[in-house]
Amino acid sequence: MSLSDAGGFTVDLLPDEHVESGTSILLAGDDTEALKRVFASLVAAKESEYSVVLATNSGGRAVRRILDDVRAGAGQDAAILTCEGPARGDDVTVIDDLSDLTTLGMEFSNLVSQVNQTNDRFRSGIFLCSTLIDEVEDTRSVYRFLNTTFLTDLRRNEGLGVCAVDTSASLETDIDSMLTGLETSMTARIDVESDGDKIELTLTGFGPTEETVTARL
Amino acid sequence: MTRNVLCVDTAERVTDVVSTLEDDDQLAPISVTSVESAIETIVQEPIVCVVTAYDLSDGTGLDIIDALKSESPQTPSILFTDVSPGEIDTTGFDEVIVEYLNRDLPDADDRLGFVVNDVIEHSAQVGFLAPEDEDDRLETLAEYDVEELPVEESFDRLTDLIADHLDVAVSFIGLIEKDEENFLACTGADWDSLTREDTICTHSMLQEDVMVVEDIDADSRFSENQQLKNLGIVSYAGANMTAPNGQVIGQVCALDHEPREFSAHERDTLQQYAETAMEILELRQAVDSGGEVAQ
Repeated sequence: MSLSDAGGFTVDLLPDEHVESGTSILLAGDDTEALKRVFASLVAAKESEYSVVLATNSGGRAVRRILDDVRAGAGQDAAILTCEGPARGDDVTVIDDLSDLTTLGMEFSNLVSQVNQTNDRFRSGIFLCSTLIDEVEDTRSVYRFLNTTFLTDLRRNEGLGVCAVDTSASLETDIDSMLTGLETSMTARIDVESDGDKIELTLTGFGPTEETVTARL
Repeated sequence: MTRNVLCVDTAERVTDVVSTLEDDDQLAPISVTSVESAIETIVQEPIVCVVTAYDLSDGTGLDIIDALKSESPQTPSILFTDVSPGEIDTTGFDEVIVEYLNRDLPDADDRLGFVVNDVIEHSAQVGFLAPEDEDDRLETLAEYDVEELPVEESFDRLTDLIADHLDVAVSFIGLIEKDEENFLACTGADWDSLTREDTICTHSMLQEDVMVVEDIDADSRFSENQQLKNLGIVSYAGANMTAPNGQVIGQVCALDHEPREFSAHERDTLQQYAETAMEILELRQAVDSGGEVAQ
């Protein structure tokens, strides 16, 4: 029986390589490029999966490229929501204003629903949640957005979700306290530290104890 | 217990929505056909969920959801429409988050009942982060029959002591329920309860250590929270009341009307008061039930 038959997701980066369906992961780090590479490796669709990506700082083409770097063809197996145009193809939806969380939430839910019409299993990701927090007036709206769309979709479907936070972003808050709050409402957390090509991942919530692994991406 | 679900659509289509939900014994759909009558019903009836179309004779579904968020911010809503998200005018509704259910999907009608029950059961649209094991936490809280326990005088003395000892304007002991924080004792203010998403405690309970906000205007999580401003809350320190099984059920807090710091010693003191409050609750519960006190 393959891992996908067992109802979970394969994540090559993790020592166990297996993540339960419905898992939500908080991904945090201060090196945006390293964060992006780890994000892509978690969210890129494998066989019989589809990705749904909310990209706050990249266009559709750039997102497809980083997913393809993980697995050839993964970029095509992705529905992308972005505020950076142009919309290329049916699977790239461009919205005008990132701070319009009402539209963003409806579009994101709609994409997941459409994907679930044809694929039972999906990987969803927000890159970067810290940009959303920075864009909106009231942080409670971002929490409402996460609850209404991101976490609800994972609870109802066969999904794996990744919410990325750039800890170097200037958010005018106690970032550690905010991350602790986000971590508590998600299943697991990965902290990313980089040193050249070498990336160190501290894993919390994937097993009984915290674990640190080194990856080259 | 039946769940009153407000269904809003045009006269031609609302019957279809109602008949879809009527198939579920748990749901009691109430139908209206205008924004005005929907808002009246939200104010007058105990509605637990709103299902609305987008295009209505006197406005849009977003007008209703916006009013709902003002009247009852934690009541979930579903925009059930065949208008695509890109065609929906969100001008003036930038942060009115709603679940979107595309009525054109082949299984839309089948999904509607499931989605309505799901958003009600999971408080799926609240504006705060809840711990992943929130159900276990609420079960722990429910084990304390606070209404019947004689804790009021003890807690009043405790909040008096905290306010005096830490030299703060307000001190309180609050239990964090599913949708609100209920204050068991409060010195320096007369508060009964607050909607949970308006509280700093719902953030503080997620932290292991005492959480301090020296100035809410300097913290983006709270700077737009009008309720805190209305109450005059400027600085905050909160310590967890942790039950013997490790679940956090409430907070013991010190607030001030001016920005201020809390030293490591003051934080430690507040934590000790929180542990004392928890011990009082445990002892009263044990005496009341004739059982033993957990160590």
